Amino acid sequence: MNGTTTVSLVGVGGQGILLGAAVLAEAAMAEGLDVKASEVKGMAQRGGSVLSTVRFGRHVYSPLARHADLVFATELLEGLRGLDLLAPRGTLVSATTRILPGSVLRGEEAYPEELAAAAAARGVRLILLDAEELAREAGNLRAVNVVLLGAASLVLPFSPDAWERGLAAAVPAKILEVNRRAFALGRDVGARQEVPR
Amino acid sequence: MCLVERALFLSGNEAIAQGAARAGVRFACGYPGTPSTEIVETIVGLEGVHAEWCVNEKVALETAVGASLAGVRSLVTMKHVGLNVAADPFMTLSLTGVNAGLVVVSADDPGMHSSQNEQDNRTFARFAKVPMLEPSDSQEAYDYVAEAFSLSEEFDTPVLLRSTTRLSHGRGRVLRRVPVPVPERSYERDLAKYVMVPQYARRRNRLVLERLQKLRRRAEESPLNVLEAGTVDFGIVAAGIAYQYAREAFPKAWFLKLGLSYPLPFEKVARLYQSVSRVAVVEELDPFLEDQIHALGLPVVGKDVIPADGELDQETVFRALEPFLARRPPRRRRPVPPRTPLISTPPELPAGLPVRPPVLCPGCTHRSVYAALRRRKLVPLGDIGCYTLGALPPLLALDSCLCMGASIGMMSGFNQVLGRKAAAAVIGDSTFFHSGVTPLIDAHYNQSDGLVLVLDNRTTAMTGHQGHPGTGVRADRSQGPAVEVQRLCEGIGVRCTTVDANDHKALDAAIKSEVETPGLGVVVALAPCVLMVRDHAGIVTVDEERCNLCGLCLDLGCPALAPGEVAVTLTDACTGCGLCVEVCRRGALAHEPAGGGGA
Repeated sequence: MNGTTTVSLVGVGGQGILLGAAVLAEAAMAEGLDVKASEVKGMAQRGGSVLSTVRFGRHVYSPLARHADLVFATELLEGLRGLDLLAPRGTLVSATTRILPGSVLRGEEAYPEELAAAAAARGVRLILLDAEELAREAGNLRAVNVVLLGAASLVLPFSPDAWERGLAAAVPAKILEVNRRAFALGRDVGARQEVPR
Repeated sequence: MCLVERALFLSGNEAIAQGAARAGVRFACGYPGTPSTEIVETIVGLEGVHAEWCVNEKVALETAVGASLAGVRSLVTMKHVGLNVAADPFMTLSLTGVNAGLVVVSADDPGMHSSQNEQDNRTFARFAKVPMLEPSDSQEAYDYVAEAFSLSEEFDTPVLLRSTTRLSHGRGRVLRRVPVPVPERSYERDLAKYVMVPQYARRRNRLVLERLQKLRRRAEESPLNVLEAGTVDFGIVAAGIAYQYAREAFPKAWFLKLGLSYPLPFEKVARLYQSVSRVAVVEELDPFLEDQIHALGLPVVGKDVIPADGELDQETVFRALEPFLARRPPRRRRPVPPRTPLISTPPELPAGLPVRPPVLCPGCTHRSVYAALRRRKLVPLGDIGCYTLGALPPLLALDSCLCMGASIGMMSGFNQVLGRKAAAAVIGDSTFFHSGVTPLIDAHYNQSDGLVLVLDNRTTAMTGHQGHPGTGVRADRSQGPAVEVQRLCEGIGVRCTTVDANDHKALDAAIKSEVETPGLGVVVALAPCVLMVRDHAGIVTVDEERCNLCGLCLDLGCPALAPGEVAVTLTDACTGCGLCVEVCRRGALAHEPAGGGGA
């Protein structure tokens, strides 16, 4: 609304959603934009579904929105759930990572596999990538969030410099280099991973 | 039958106590505070009621909640500021509701005869969205207690019975009435009602809003809210002792006398305005009723002429309102009926997608406590922290979660009523220091039976591993002195055993031993939060030949275990804690401790 872009980051507690949101917010600020963000902590963590929202634009009023222009999912089922958060003509960037919820682990429910079909049915632009493999290639399995940011950067209007400043501001110095590589890999591979509609 | 029983001359407090006995109250407790003290002091001598002084008002309310859960009508008494101390359980008790009726008596002190402030606790009824009764003399104090319990059970809510100094310490004639029949109740497990984790609390909260609308209709019909006809063009809305002052000052006026004063019966107010053109509200302290009547768009006189502080009396009321009668009546207005507040509809979950609630981490030692506790057939009353997640499927390991530190008081009340070790309290280390120490002192002092499990993972885990007095770690991560749970318990005089929570057999034995020993005991299950421990505890392997996928290990709800095609499989989330090995009956799982090098 009102020229504000909304990005929702979804995943499983412990996957680094908050860090992903922080990098995104810092990158937006580096572009000179106004940014607001909202995150749910506490009970929502500990392996449960988590959702963070980052909104940026010339002037941002509300820190949250029902629908997002871009949904960023570090896990496949959460990506599927995230389809409901997408505005029409939105983009979903999702990892192929599967983390089985308790009901699936116990065999009470099946893990849903239909993300590509569901995205296509809704006319959603889908970028799907094996972020875990790329994170491993970058040197740290936990960099899945930043790999996805690299892929998401393809559809966000920030300059490479703004992303670099965002990473430097939000990522601890010790793991900055690994995350720079993860970001670059995500951006490279993401460009080739768009699932045709 | 004694039809001409002599009237008793009772203080309001004595009348409340006698009324409680008549209403079938079996458990009463409180913390002394003027002007509420004599209620418990009177009840102590009455037959069939167990009465206790508690360590404070919060613990008193939690103890009464435990008694109500166990199935008996329970009364809690305190002075107005005591409800500040008890506000934590009070606010959420509105959501859980009760089992047997539960009534909270708040005795306010306008004029601060013996108090540090004169807060108007009627606001608490509105704040917690619970019904409030306000008797105006000793007879009503006696009668309203039974009504309060009946409302509590019918509407599944705590009820606030509000007194003030002049009612509590005033005296009047009381005719006793026949005891009311009280339905038998026993404890029934209902996690969605008593475990206030977000997903259950949201649902209960909507029920509270619906309940408030039903209570408003009840207030419209209730004979406790009476429109008394007068002979002059003047009406007064009043409740409690203020009604008596106003009635004496203006004997010819119309009155809307409110006994069930919250929620306010709007239609009855409107009816008063149909009968008279001048209306005043006579109330001590805040413009509680006046503001609500103003909101109906009706002209009303109140705190513009009647002091908003201190006590009233008939002369003050008369002098304040007499000039009003000489004035031209205000133009009549039609009341603007209040709109029924909209209650949100719960968001629809995307169809067919498995939900992903938060879970206890792989290797979390809380899981081993729950596995051991499950074997002991105790009612596990819980508290607030990561371990509250144990209440969710598949563990379903906790029956209640009310507020910080509530578990021990609730256990005490529950076990007092049943006269045995029927319930256990499960509380984390940080929560224990927050507000678990006072109820432990209380349970010891009142000689409650019980088992308290302190899940000591050396941190405030849920919120992100903050320090607490048990670890001595301060906000800046510097190390301060640490308080040992074991020594603290022993200092109180409570038996306490500390066991390594990773040692499943020792933990099971300690709990078993405590369950079999009469009296109050604490077991501290000690092991640092698995998220703070980087090293794996060992390696677990599966013997696919032996595993028959019986599901015993899967029932632990460990995210590292999944059913495979022929046997369970372990994901790399496994920390090697070995609890699944303990529960397997076929020897299909094996554990090799880290650095053990054993075969």
